Amino acid sequence: MFTAAAESFLKQAREIQEEELRRFVSRVAALLQGPELGPEAVDCLQRLHLTVAATKYPRKLDGKFVELLQTVLCSSKCPEQIQVLCAAILREMSPCNDLILSCDEIQDTKLLSLVSSVLLAQGNKKAEVSAVGQRIVKVLERRLPEGQSAQYLLPVLSNVISLSPESLTEEQTNVVSRKMADWLRYASIQQGVAQPSGGFFSNPRTRQPGPVTEVDGAVATDFFTVLSVGQYYTQDQWLNVQAFSMLRNWLLSYGGKGLKTPNSDDKSGMDRSVMSVVSTTSTSSRLLPPKERLREKAFEYCQRLIEQSNRRPLKKDDGDLQKACLIEAVTIMDIICKQDSSYMYRAASFLKILHGRICGDATYARALLPIAQFFLNHSKMAAVDSDAIYKHLFTDIPAQLFHNPSLAFEFVQFCKDNSQLFTETSSIFRQSFPNLFKFLAWNSPPLISEFVDLLPFLLDAGTAIEIFHLLLDLPCLTAALDIQLRSTALPTSERAASDPAVKPATCLEAFRHPLYKSMFQYLLRTKSAPEDAPERLIPLRQLLGSLASSPRVVQCAETVPVLLELFFRVVAEFADGPLINQLVVLLLQRSDQLYEIPAFKDDVYRVLSSQLVMLCKLHPALIVELSKEILEFSGTVSNIQNKEAIFTHVVWAIGEYMSVSYDKRCTVEQINRFFETLEAMLFEITQLRPLASTSSYAPRAISVLMATLTKLAARSQDLIPRVSMFLSKMRTFVQSPAVTSVYCEEDLEEILIRATELMNLLKMPSVAQFVFTPPVDVASTRFQREVNDSLPFALRIVTHLLEPAPGCMPG
Amino acid sequence: MVRAFVLLALGGPDPPAPPGPAPPGPAPCRVLYARAFGTPPGSPPATGGPPRQRLRRKEQLLAVARQVASQCRLLQSSSGCPSSPQLPQLPDEPMSLQDAPGGLFQLPPGDPFPERVTVTWLSVLALAFALVCDPQENLSLAEITLRRLAPRLLASLRLLGPGADVLLRPETADLLLDRLLPHGQMLFLNERFLQAMDREMGIKASR
Repeated sequence: MFTAAAESFLKQAREIQEEELRRFVSRVAALLQGPELGPEAVDCLQRLHLTVAATKYPRKLDGKFVELLQTVLCSSKCPEQIQVLCAAILREMSPCNDLILSCDEIQDTKLLSLVSSVLLAQGNKKAEVSAVGQRIVKVLERRLPEGQSAQYLLPVLSNVISLSPESLTEEQTNVVSRKMADWLRYASIQQGVAQPSGGFFSNPRTRQPGPVTEVDGAVATDFFTVLSVGQYYTQDQWLNVQAFSMLRNWLLSYGGKGLKTPNSDDKSGMDRSVMSVVSTTSTSSRLLPPKERLREKAFEYCQRLIEQSNRRPLKKDDGDLQKACLIEAVTIMDIICKQDSSYMYRAASFLKILHGRICGDATYARALLPIAQFFLNHSKMAAVDSDAIYKHLFTDIPAQLFHNPSLAFEFVQFCKDNSQLFTETSSIFRQSFPNLFKFLAWNSPPLISEFVDLLPFLLDAGTAIEIFHLLLDLPCLTAALDIQLRSTALPTSERAASDPAVKPATCLEAFRHPLYKSMFQYLLRTKSAPEDAPERLIPLRQLLGSLASSPRVVQCAETVPVLLELFFRVVAEFADGPLINQLVVLLLQRSDQLYEIPAFKDDVYRVLSSQLVMLCKLHPALIVELSKEILEFSGTVSNIQNKEAIFTHVVWAIGEYMSVSYDKRCTVEQINRFFETLEAMLFEITQLRPLASTSSYAPRAISVLMATLTKLAARSQDLIPRVSMFLSKMRTFVQSPAVTSVYCEEDLEEILIRATELMNLLKMPSVAQFVFTPPVDVASTRFQREVNDSLPFALRIVTHLLEPAPGCMPG
Repeated sequence: MVRAFVLLALGGPDPPAPPGPAPPGPAPCRVLYARAFGTPPGSPPATGGPPRQRLRRKEQLLAVARQVASQCRLLQSSSGCPSSPQLPQLPDEPMSLQDAPGGLFQLPPGDPFPERVTVTWLSVLALAFALVCDPQENLSLAEITLRRLAPRLLASLRLLGPGADVLLRPETADLLLDRLLPHGQMLFLNERFLQAMDREMGIKASR
């Protein structure tokens, strides 16, 4: 808990003033210079650390005191606790200018590690990283004095090379490579002994240690590895563990040709034109140069680990380690093969066998990813048919294990790392995208940003429509996955297929009901399958409505608007006329067929309506080409209530693009037809019924209807009198008591002002025509670009021209 | 390579406190202990000097903490379970955290570290533990490492008690990290190795 005590300490630490701090520091200095460094010194250092750490701005400590801290840190008779505290304070203040610390003179390996931690925190302004690296290698080169262990130094080295691999020369890396090969391969296979407790009565004869065992208890069959088990461990066994732990980083940095940073892509191994099919023998390994020798020992180590991972561990947690070792071993083999393709043949056959062994075991699923990556990287050279591996990975794994968040994350990373695979239309990767979305549907918060990166690779003209439907149905997918999980968890006895004549009472029953089964199967499909009749899923969506408020479904629903916007942005880059038309038709269709989550529907409408505008801009002719669907949509009164955003934008688009300047096929008949439909709509919603109550509609919808009718009239001028008469009736509408009780005053005022402005505009038909139907090449002026803002602005200017207020003539 | 380790208090709406004044608002997410292992690669050269570098480091770690807190809240609300009840007593052995909520997420380059990083996290009651790793790191091992660090830190620093050891005893956390995550190096330790290490550190062995 973040307790009251902790809050109080933090507050105090932050509020300490400079003067008080200075006094405290001198007290600490006195203690540190005293003969005994006891509990009081510890306590003071602890409080000093908190004071320094508690603020974001640095605390100024006296330079001499900082020097004293460093001296105390390096002093051999200082208790360990004090040393660690001094290092912690120095690190907390880092980077600091007053550092005199140097690792050059330090012999004790533990102290060297501690001092290095301070030096490596300095930000490498003065090449501290390199200095530390040099010192470590120097110490490792020579024989360590009694009681000193190299085990404290290897992690420092690992840190050095991850920060700055250029710190070491080739000669130095060779020295270390040679040692690493020995540590990996030749650690003792006898268990260590307990440290003798000493004392007068202790028995100097310790029990003979036995051999180390495997994780399943059997006696070790080969050399020592991280999966070897003993009661006590020897020094070289610790070094074995550490060497393997840093092996991957080491090989990435120094295993290839020349020095590379850990993150760069090492392709140097691929340059070798000679590929040996016969595996290299190790008889002459002592004569191999250090890099190559390490490579060989590393490869053997990885092979042994993979074999050891086949054993059933006595301790359950060792099973987790086995899997982590497996993943590491495969990854290292991959790196080795990149650096030396002569290992390819051995590795490929070995890994194929491994894959066969683990592919049926769900607990090993995460290890399938590095195996697949290996074959993606090398299958051409290894001449191995790896299609079955990819098929299993992409078809079975997401369907079975979507609910495993770690696997989900790593799987999606794998896809991102190999995104070029998805561009090939017929590939298994591309075909499996419905399966991939299951990861997102179930684990939305951590994966949404990954899918934002991945989606563009999955989208092209062939998949756009299916993905559009999929995105809109993503929360349904979450619900369906929930039911699938619960159904699988049922004991088999309860899983009898339901009676087709009886309607299912619960979603769970529906899962096996013949009426719904195929719908579930479609939604939960593993392969791309474009659906011709999307309305097929309507009953399923209704059924799943009971899960619409489940937290996981709601979280998934929140990701959809983001993905939809991205979808349209990407599609806009390649879509042609026919595809755009198809999308618009589906957009209008699907607006009726959405999963019933209110906030979800509102957000989707918002996105769809703005994207509709974007599509119209890309392909203005769609208004004419899809006139039938658009007429139908804009002529349905319920749409004004239920889907106001989309309706408003559709009507606006009609006004904007139903014009001969955008499509020569736009005829006067068409304009009149649209006019009549919209006029009827406006009439419907502004009708004053004497006995029935007036329902309110979005004022925005009224405004846009008026504006569009005016625009259409400007193009087909016979309609002008009708519009003018209608607009003049708006005053009556706005002032009627039935209406004022239902709409708010500002909205009614706006409507009236707009109606007046439009009427005035129509009094000057040629101006109206210009404002509303400019030649297309002038269309990019400010007046035309914005949907809702520019029109009122333009109208206001015209109104001023027609009815200048006294003293307000535009200049 | 692990770039940093962060121990944070999740913050958020506090559970109803025993009699006393109610907290003014939701408690902020706080970094209780953090350890960075060197300056992240790709960092721009030291502009503004050491104070700015230090500030940047602290803000990066706080940004990680906030992301972890947010992911934790989202995970807990998606699984629909209320915040876990109080433990009956302070466990003094390393407890198994098999069912503790946790996860993985990525932070894009520039926000807050210069290069992309992956964060693995684990939460226990109102606290969370996080490792900031390079993207290509062995994430299975990272999760294992966290599951080992967490119970040992919980026990040594008495994190579930009312005290403030985590703030006042940084050397305890440092010493634990020096064994299980020395200089950011994750270790492939099997259970027996871990026991041997616990013996050396003086921690009671788990069953």
